[in-house]
Amino acid sequence: MSSGQALIEELTALAGEAKNTLGQASSFEALEELRVAYLGRKGRLAQIMAKLPGLTAEEKRQAGQTANTVKEELTAHYTVRLEGLKRAQDEAMLAGFDPALPGRSHPTGGLHPLSLVSDEICRAFSGMGFEVVTGPEIETDFYNFEALNFPPEHPARDMQDTLYIGDNILLRTHTSPLQVRTLLSRKPPVAAIAPGKVYRRDSDITHSPMFHQIEGFLVDKGVTMADLRGTLTFFVHRIFGPDTLVRFRPSFFPFTEPSAEVDISCVMCEGKGHVGGQTCRVCKSTGWVEILGCGMIDPNVLKAVDIDPEVYSGFAFGMGVERVTMLKYGVGDLRLFFENDVRFLGQFA
Amino acid sequence: MLLSLNWLREFVPYEGPVDTLADRLTMLGLEVEGVSRPFAATADVVVGHVLTREKHPDADKLSVCTVDVGQGEPLQIVCGAANVAAGLCVPVARIGTVLPGGLTIKKSKIRGVESFGMICSESELGLAEKSEGILELPAGLKPGKTLAEAMNLDDVVLEIGITPNRADCLSVLGLAREAAMAFGLPLTMPSVHLKEDGPDASTLVSIRIPEPELCPVYRARIIRGVEIKASPAWMRYRLTAMGQRPVNNIVDVTNYVMLELGQPLHAFDRSLLAGNFIEISRAAEGMRFNTLDGQERVLTTRDLLIRDGAKAVALAGVMGGGNSEISERSTEVLLECAVFNPATIRKTARRLGLSSESSYRYERGVDQPGSLFAMNRAAALMAEVADGRVLPGIAEAEPKPWRSSPIGFRPAKAVSLLGIELANDFCRKTFQGLGCDVDLTTADAWTITPPPARQDLEREVDLIEEVARVYGMDRIPAAMPKMLKSLEVPDRLGAEVPFMGRLKTWACGAGLRETVNYSFVGQQELDLLGLPGEGRVPVANPLSEDQNVMRTELAPGLMKAVRHNLSQGNATLRLFELAKAFTADSASETTVREAHRLGIALCGARFGSFPWPEEKVDYSDLKGLVEQLLSSLGLPDAQYAVQKDHPWLSPCVQVSLDGSVLGVMGRVLQDVADSYEAKAGLWMAELDAEALMALHQHRSIRFRGLPKFPPSRRDVTLVMPSTLSVGEVLGAVRAHKAAILEDVAVHDLFEPEGAPEKNVTFRVTYRHAERTLTDKDVDKAHNGLCDALSKALPVRFQ
Ligand SMILES: [Zn+2]
Repeated sequence: MSSGQALIEELTALAGEAKNTLGQASSFEALEELRVAYLGRKGRLAQIMAKLPGLTAEEKRQAGQTANTVKEELTAHYTVRLEGLKRAQDEAMLAGFDPALPGRSHPTGGLHPLSLVSDEICRAFSGMGFEVVTGPEIETDFYNFEALNFPPEHPARDMQDTLYIGDNILLRTHTSPLQVRTLLSRKPPVAAIAPGKVYRRDSDITHSPMFHQIEGFLVDKGVTMADLRGTLTFFVHRIFGPDTLVRFRPSFFPFTEPSAEVDISCVMCEGKGHVGGQTCRVCKSTGWVEILGCGMIDPNVLKAVDIDPEVYSGFAFGMGVERVTMLKYGVGDLRLFFENDVRFLGQFA
Repeated sequence: MLLSLNWLREFVPYEGPVDTLADRLTMLGLEVEGVSRPFAATADVVVGHVLTREKHPDADKLSVCTVDVGQGEPLQIVCGAANVAAGLCVPVARIGTVLPGGLTIKKSKIRGVESFGMICSESELGLAEKSEGILELPAGLKPGKTLAEAMNLDDVVLEIGITPNRADCLSVLGLAREAAMAFGLPLTMPSVHLKEDGPDASTLVSIRIPEPELCPVYRARIIRGVEIKASPAWMRYRLTAMGQRPVNNIVDVTNYVMLELGQPLHAFDRSLLAGNFIEISRAAEGMRFNTLDGQERVLTTRDLLIRDGAKAVALAGVMGGGNSEISERSTEVLLECAVFNPATIRKTARRLGLSSESSYRYERGVDQPGSLFAMNRAAALMAEVADGRVLPGIAEAEPKPWRSSPIGFRPAKAVSLLGIELANDFCRKTFQGLGCDVDLTTADAWTITPPPARQDLEREVDLIEEVARVYGMDRIPAAMPKMLKSLEVPDRLGAEVPFMGRLKTWACGAGLRETVNYSFVGQQELDLLGLPGEGRVPVANPLSEDQNVMRTELAPGLMKAVRHNLSQGNATLRLFELAKAFTADSASETTVREAHRLGIALCGARFGSFPWPEEKVDYSDLKGLVEQLLSSLGLPDAQYAVQKDHPWLSPCVQVSLDGSVLGVMGRVLQDVADSYEAKAGLWMAELDAEALMALHQHRSIRFRGLPKFPPSRRDVTLVMPSTLSVGEVLGAVRAHKAAILEDVAVHDLFEPEGAPEKNVTFRVTYRHAERTLTDKDVDKAHNGLCDALSKALPVRFQ
């Protein structure tokens, strides 16, 4: 038997063997091992081919042809088995797969509801062109009271029971000092809102000694109370929905005149005063809930910041973030905001 | 302020529904906060006529009566009161009636005698706090009539919130003025008929006022021959309805007229006044005075006293003295009617914590010209209800008569401020309706003179507010302001708010929940954390011991939130807070430095539940958060150094970057953690948000080209003393500065238990910027690095 013939037989035997072994490879790793063993650079096929140079031209041609056929066959067997293994793996993934097993949870963070609502209010106003300003939480009597037209020993000071640090140093009772600080540092036209913590010497079921306010004000030539109403109506509609009614009711604040309280139609009973035949506990059946105080900036305040009230006018408003949040989300108990129970905090993400 | 509708109707003939009145007053700025019917519980009680009264056969103190109640047969009623008698008109609760205390009247048998109802006393009807015997009604009432109708008890009381500017509305009269204007009804003042008799009061007493500023007017009348007893029912019931406890007829008259007309009054027992003059002057520093509530008050020279010829007899405008008050033995009254300086009264009332109905009104200002009428009204009532004789004449001094102050009003200004069209006629009518004198001589600049009761009307803007109030503030239309605003924004604007927002956004993304804690805590909580005593900012008038100092660090507040959650069974916590810490700073305008801090607290499980493994949080979690924060802010790696002797953290690691300290983080000392219920360990960080902001603002972002050639990595495992920080190794590697050394990182750590050494594997990355490194290049550099490390540090290679 010529060595050419022997070589061809060797190739044929290899093809027969490989067909079985490749077809039975039980894993990707075993299949890869077989591929290297048969088809690799130093594999069995290559070893047989290494003998080609010793053959005659005709033998070379024949053996070469057979080798190519065998290589194609081996490659085909390999590919079939590879696809078979992939299919088997895909099927194995499905078998016993339980979609209800828990996911690997990642911690959920979130903002405090007061932050969420404060941010939402600030966004509503900054969208209108108000800039956001901040200032100290500990204030002087001048910024907190005097410049805001609360004369010393005026009964209006009783409206805001004050926590003191020293003689004329106090925990600000409202965010209104930002009106003074802002208007002292720049010239009209100015439109700004000031969110922040405020403090009162008052603690019971409906009062917290620390709470949050947002003050807003706008000073320019020709600003009217109708502008104030338009601005606040826009705000109420943004926060509570476009069907919410807005009511202006005369009131008193030392730093605005005329002054008004703003009521909105009750979010609980939609202004009807009752829910399912029961008296509405949110509005005590009046159909209205108080949401903020506002007014035209008092000429004395403008004078205190060197703005001529004969030339300029302005409006100001202030609201309690806790109150808005309670109405917006139906939170009934003020204390929840400061207990920080994560089961509470987790409800507002 | 309470307002009896029946009383109001004596001034204004308002016959409409209560709700309409309440709405109208509310929309005038007099907010009606509640409506009640104080005597509603007596609605079923009727007038009965006692026909017969016999002794109960088996009980000495009981009587058996027959009572005509207007319908059907007279009722047999057993009564225990001593004063029951045939012929009396009495209130009867029939079977089925529910009395104010909740008692339901049933048919009963009392010592064997049947009783079909109850004859009531005033206290049983809720008309008095206590009473003796049954209530004897005026003779001649028709049996069967309801008690409410017979005694004018069918009253409605409005609770009205009066803003501090509306002193004029602290009376029935003031509210009646508003109602009259609102409904276009006439206002009728009570008629006062004084029958004067005897010597002129001004010859018996003179008034001395050394400081007119403190007391612009003081008047007194004398009423002789009064008999001190309970006021008549109508007066007592009316006071009760208005929330005022009846005392005796003379004191009740002073309260009655104060509620009716807003003028505080005081009655002295004239027999207890020495000398023939009254002086209104300052107290001496430190002097003691017994007010009629039995308290001894220590006074200062800022307090104003009423003195007789020998002693102080009243704390002016606040409270009378125990030494001159009306008692059952009093027969002669000196009735004081004065006006005092509001600020003076307020200071005294506040300093002594003694706010009375009287001081409340004086603080807000009373109607000086109107006070004379109030005094005469009271004197007439005293004559009526105490059978007194009013002496003619008035002892008075008015060193500072009231002067009206005209105000300019420009209709155009009102229009431009309110944004509504106002008819001149409307404005004029409004001012006239408010009792102002209106001078229209100059068409576009009117002169308005407000009535003396309206001391709040001082400026044009006050008048504009009145116009808006009466026009209806709710009728002001909505317009949007148009503002021509420069787009130039000062530099200092806008940095803080967005940056703090960015920190919050990062924290949420990092799986932390925001908490909001009080800015004040208790001194003992700062002590518990071992924080220094100096630099604290105490609250001068705290509400409680646990809120008496501002937080110098966020930790004590954040720890409270941890404690609350753990006590509620929320065992795994990832919390943060962004708030201010407060420290004393004499250079600050407010004596306090406020600094934003970011606090983080971790406790409980590292991961969630299954399929995560059960592991507890530790330092690596906290540090990972801090590293992520810095990287999210675009800041380079920070330095982490153990800080010894931190007051509440151990280990405590100080985080710093380029020499600026960013804060600390570590494990809360177990003893401290235990006192916040964090028995399983609590890891906290407290970072200086302003330092972060400064670094963040100054970072520069420059693009660096991506590497074009592949890296080559070598691992090296060092055996090193367990006391040696990997930070020193990393530092030494970075200091080595081989040209192709790109990065080094801790890759693995093995700490054999109990051994004084640890094995740390570092992975070093080499890369050349311009070509692919050969093994030879890397070997050379890596060997050089290992040599350098073994020389610089007590390490050996594994
Ligand atoms: Zn409602």
